[in-house]
Amino acid sequence: MKKIGLFYSFHSVKTKQQAQKIIAALGAENIEEVNVEEADEATFKKYSNYILAVPTWFDGELPNYWDEFLPAVEDGSLKGKTFALYGGGDQKGYAENFVDGLGIMADFIEARAGKVIGFTSTEGYEFEGSKAARGDQFVGLALDIENQAALTGERIEAWTEQLKKEFK
Amino acid sequence: MKADVQEIYKIKTTEKESLLKWYHLLKLGRSLDDKAPNYLRQAIGWSYHAPAAGHDAIQLAIGQVFDQEHDHLFPYYRDLQTCLSAGLTATEIILNGISKDTDVAGGGRHMSNHFAKPEINIHNVSSCTGNHTLHAVGIARAIKTYEAKGVAISSQGESSVSEGYVYEAINGASNEKLPVIFVFQDNGYGISVPKKDQTANRKVAKNFEGMKNLRIIYCNGKDVFDSMNAMAEAKKHAEENQTPVIVHANCVRIHSHSNSDRHDLYRDKAELNYVQEYDPIAKFRRLLVRYNRATEEELDAIDAEVKAEVKVAHKAGLAAPSPDPESIHDFVIAPSYVPQKFPDGTHNEEGEPKKLIEALNGTLKEEFRRNPHTYIWGQDMANKDKGGIFNVSKGLQQEFGHKRVFNAPIAEDFIMGTANGMARYNKDIRIVVEGAEFADYFWPAMEQFVETTHEYWRTKGQYSPNITVRLASGGYIGGGLYHSQNIEGALSTFPGVRIVYPSYADDAAGLLRTSMRSEGMTVFMEPKALYNAPKAATPIPEEFEVPFGKARIRREGTDLTIVTYGNTTHMCVEAADKLAKEGAGNIEVIDLRSIVPLDTDTVLESIKKTSKVLIVHEDKVFAGFGGEVAATISDLGFEYLDAPVKRVGSTFTPVGFNRILEAAVLPNTDKIEVAARELLSF
Repeated sequence: MKKIGLFYSFHSVKTKQQAQKIIAALGAENIEEVNVEEADEATFKKYSNYILAVPTWFDGELPNYWDEFLPAVEDGSLKGKTFALYGGGDQKGYAENFVDGLGIMADFIEARAGKVIGFTSTEGYEFEGSKAARGDQFVGLALDIENQAALTGERIEAWTEQLKKEFK
Repeated sequence: MKADVQEIYKIKTTEKESLLKWYHLLKLGRSLDDKAPNYLRQAIGWSYHAPAAGHDAIQLAIGQVFDQEHDHLFPYYRDLQTCLSAGLTATEIILNGISKDTDVAGGGRHMSNHFAKPEINIHNVSSCTGNHTLHAVGIARAIKTYEAKGVAISSQGESSVSEGYVYEAINGASNEKLPVIFVFQDNGYGISVPKKDQTANRKVAKNFEGMKNLRIIYCNGKDVFDSMNAMAEAKKHAEENQTPVIVHANCVRIHSHSNSDRHDLYRDKAELNYVQEYDPIAKFRRLLVRYNRATEEELDAIDAEVKAEVKVAHKAGLAAPSPDPESIHDFVIAPSYVPQKFPDGTHNEEGEPKKLIEALNGTLKEEFRRNPHTYIWGQDMANKDKGGIFNVSKGLQQEFGHKRVFNAPIAEDFIMGTANGMARYNKDIRIVVEGAEFADYFWPAMEQFVETTHEYWRTKGQYSPNITVRLASGGYIGGGLYHSQNIEGALSTFPGVRIVYPSYADDAAGLLRTSMRSEGMTVFMEPKALYNAPKAATPIPEEFEVPFGKARIRREGTDLTIVTYGNTTHMCVEAADKLAKEGAGNIEVIDLRSIVPLDTDTVLESIKKTSKVLIVHEDKVFAGFGGEVAATISDLGFEYLDAPVKRVGSTFTPVGFNRILEAAVLPNTDKIEVAARELLSF
């Protein structure tokens, strides 16, 4: 498996904790952590395999740090690159926009010919709408600390096992 | 959330000049917004301040798409940045904030933080939040009617969408296909009330997704580019399709609702911290620097420029004159038409008497022919041969077409509010509305009625709602509640409206003509029991006119004055004739015709002669308009009186439906006769 660039906000709390669990599961030797708040186009281009931490803010928004980073890479192609996405959401508080951020990011990647892997089942979640949902699957790993914190560990474990097979 | 629209504006491609202009506006708006509370702390003013911080991006975008020449903007009380971006100067913002005479919104007459500049189509709106949606719809109707360029833009917080009139406005815009943009600035709170307590959908715009002809755009109101793209798309869509758009913009409220609120009482520390992180201006600055669109030095220079600009504006604001207390009576109501042919509103015409309903129908048609900018709408207004609930407007649509004569939905507030809106478009426009099917159904329109009474005064004469509100009023038809009651006593308590109530066909024609030629709002009460009554029929001279505030002596006398109007005028004349025949006394009957303004001179002159006065009207005695007449007489004519002022009217009860109950409640000739005898015996 090629080195994976794990992009997340180093200032985050929950997302950072989840990132550490993912690193532990995939092996630190396979991961390079990148603070998305400081990332530039050159850093981003270094990788072929990515894990992007994309929590959903507010009513279905990308965090500011992603909003501010994406213009850096919006004009280029992501062809040949593979992305796995995870992020937190609140299926009760924001049921209409549960983990929308994952969906917005997946659309962004695919519009530029990137490949998104690591889809997961929507089973076990209750929500009204999500840009991340495609049929009965999410375009990444949806985590819900607010309502299903106890499931986070096993969800990450299963997802990382899946990624080991899907990342080349 | 990001708007699903064409991305015209992007950080990497938008012209630098625009980016720096926006940054300047954002910083200027924020500086003024941050400075506002200082004025209150120093007891200078700005006692109402609803901070715009957190709404900056969408407000910038509203102002940037606004075209002063063709569009009409209806901002709400949190729209400081909107108004600055749309064309107000920093000094004008401060003049409004500290309520100076030179405040362009209205000379300090309206609340602070209610920014406006009617001169450039930034309208002066109410603090009755969200009710300007109806005005936006009304003016959009005018834009469409006159096939003009431009759109109406209404802005409000998401909580005010709970108001029923907002539904009426959006429904009307959807139904009539009007070019209006409704912007919902969603910060999650109505003062302290979270939006979960307002409506089931987290995004209130979703409640309108079933409406036809309506596009809804959701955007990030904290992001300059997303907001700009959403507003640009909304305007393009509204103009090209001549249909409404809702822009639902997610914002955050960084501070408390206003300076009378303390958000730390209901928001926890985590929330207070994260709303700071969402600051739209900080994000915009980071983007400018990150993508090398501006250097830190350039932005710091703008910051310094803004600081100096605010200082200059502050000094200009403090030096500006305060309003003159003597000016309070200026601009209460716009000038009325002064009759030229019949200056006192009387005539000696002979010939075929016309019924009151014919007088109204004929006058409406004559005035519609005279002024092509005349419009009428209401419930039951026009469907084939039906023209108004009582057919007063029969034949108007056939002659003047659907654009000038049309039905309204069963929504009295919409009828009134869109009249207030449409009248803004052009000073020649004269609007007649059937305010409700029956006068006592007018209550749902009261908030727009009250609003309309404020306009001329609040804008210091900059906007006059030129509207005639026709209401079929009163009883004697067995109508009961909502069909037989009078409301003029309640309406007369509001400055800013004229109220007329004719009793005869000629006065009905003359007063309606004067109303339709006047500036300002006139409530035209129609005694529906007299529409077809032979006793109210009179000859009517061509182009008959009756001035406001000019009573008519319907029967001359020397022993007692009866002051009356509407249905009871005829009863008073009958009672007077009967008593004269008996030799009990010679009674003078004054038909007020206008109750606001009141012809005090005619009343006092009569009392000088008779020394006794009876006031009669159909409305309730208790708190009825007669109380005002009695108090005026007591104040100005007490020395002429030889007897107490007496009043006859309805009992202090609703009007019953059963004819027996109705007769017990309403005044009649016998009750008037009894009271007159009592006074004559003094």
